[in-house]
Amino acid sequence: MVNIGLKDVWYRYTGSSSWSLKGVSIIIQNGETVLVTGHNGSGKTTMLKIASLIYRPSSGAVLVDGKDFWVLRESERTSVRRSIVYVHEKPVLLRGSVLSNVAYGLAIRGVSSGEAVKKCREVLEELGIWELHRSSPHKLSAGQAQLMAVARALVLDPEALFLDEPFAHLDSEKREILVNTLIGRQRQGVSIVISSHQVGYLGKLSVNKTVTLENGVVMRAREKREKGESNS
Amino acid sequence: MRVLSGEVIDTVLRSLYVSGVATMLSLTWSVPASYILALRQRTGLVEALLETLVGMPTVLLGLLLYFLFSSSGPLAPLRLLYTPQAMIVGEAILVTPLIISTSHRLLRNAITTYSELALSLGAGRDQAMTLILRETSPGIIASAVMGFSRAVGELGIAMMVGGNISGYTRVATTAIALGVSRGEFEEALVLGLMLLAIMLVVAVALKSLSRVYVKW
Ligand SMILES: Nc1ncnc2c1ncn2[C@@H]1O[C@H](COP(=O)(O)OP(=O)(O)O)[C@@H](O)[C@H]1O
Ligand SMILES: [Mg+2]
Repeated sequence: MVNIGLKDVWYRYTGSSSWSLKGVSIIIQNGETVLVTGHNGSGKTTMLKIASLIYRPSSGAVLVDGKDFWVLRESERTSVRRSIVYVHEKPVLLRGSVLSNVAYGLAIRGVSSGEAVKKCREVLEELGIWELHRSSPHKLSAGQAQLMAVARALVLDPEALFLDEPFAHLDSEKREILVNTLIGRQRQGVSIVISSHQVGYLGKLSVNKTVTLENGVVMRAREKREKGESNS
Repeated sequence: MRVLSGEVIDTVLRSLYVSGVATMLSLTWSVPASYILALRQRTGLVEALLETLVGMPTVLLGLLLYFLFSSSGPLAPLRLLYTPQAMIVGEAILVTPLIISTSHRLLRNAITTYSELALSLGAGRDQAMTLILRETSPGIIASAVMGFSRAVGELGIAMMVGGNISGYTRVATTAIALGVSRGEFEEALVLGLMLLAIMLVVAVALKSLSRVYVKW
């Protein structure tokens, strides 16, 4: 159970002279699926990283279940972060095998390796890439690496899942696998936030809310996706 | 086979020992210093200074240390002059700019990438730092190997604060210099080639060792 709110969030990257987010306010309710759209450079990635508690806003607040996240103590922050997971647009590959990459989050939570392997296998099989578990992640195709990064997040059973352009490198077959997996998670009550500069990829995935960004400002926030917008 | 005498082997081993310990000693401060430098924003001046110091003449550093360690110097009570310990300290200082200037660059990119990943998957601050060091370890080992090579190959410090004492502070480079000055070219050459061969083995071994890390 997690509600995440951004309250008048402004963000400027270190060394940059312009604001990447200018007063963004949104609410992601528990169990909701939110689509964030907008052109390249509109601030989708920045907003997702702020909402998933990776970046600290330059000003404004991030509320998790009503509590101001950035005034919490470091240890409290870590425990809040454990239920909120973000998947990068460009997967970050770690040394070792696909399996050890996927197991990373479990390892730092102190999960035993036997249990971790079992969990990883479950998720990798669901995503159709279990047979790659021994390979080096550097040998994967872009789409396979993307799915590996999603698996690394899903094994943690997050309450809120942030996916940055998750469909960008996927072919239609992998896209369908991912959509079906996400539908399964929706049914379990997981909040899902997806960014996409193209809206056509979502297929059967239903969305509760669409947020459109333009130059760091929320242009439109609509409950329920309008018909026809989903299919391209 | 006079050239492969026990003394030659002894000298080569001492070279590896002194420079190996010096490199490890340097890592204890070079890695934290690289990390701190990598977290800073405007570091151009520090980088320029470090890059200049990479090429510091070893005799100059040897001379400075000689003044510090000599009987009238401020560090005389330590009685380090003409000991292997003095050579270790000197070489550890010598390789510091090289290790910092190569590894801080590596860490700078890694810190952003891996700390973001660590945070995104719920890691704490210490776990994030562990991940950063784990992911950069092959690069840091490579830069340590470069430092080690520089230490093995230097002559100035070994001569000035080691003193080329047979069986005690004589290392490959000082032995080669002595051999050449005596006209024993063959022995000097064999010693040099032997040293290079061993260093190659060490570098290859460390490189493959740093690659095999796979948890499952
Ligand atoms: N690391 C960075 N440093 C400076 N500016 C950045 C950085 N990352 C993104 N920006 C800027 O912030 C704005 C928003 O970028 P981003 O959130 O990546 O947009 P999107 O994901 O919608 O393409 C852009 O103008 C971009 O140039
Ligand atoms: Mg983006």
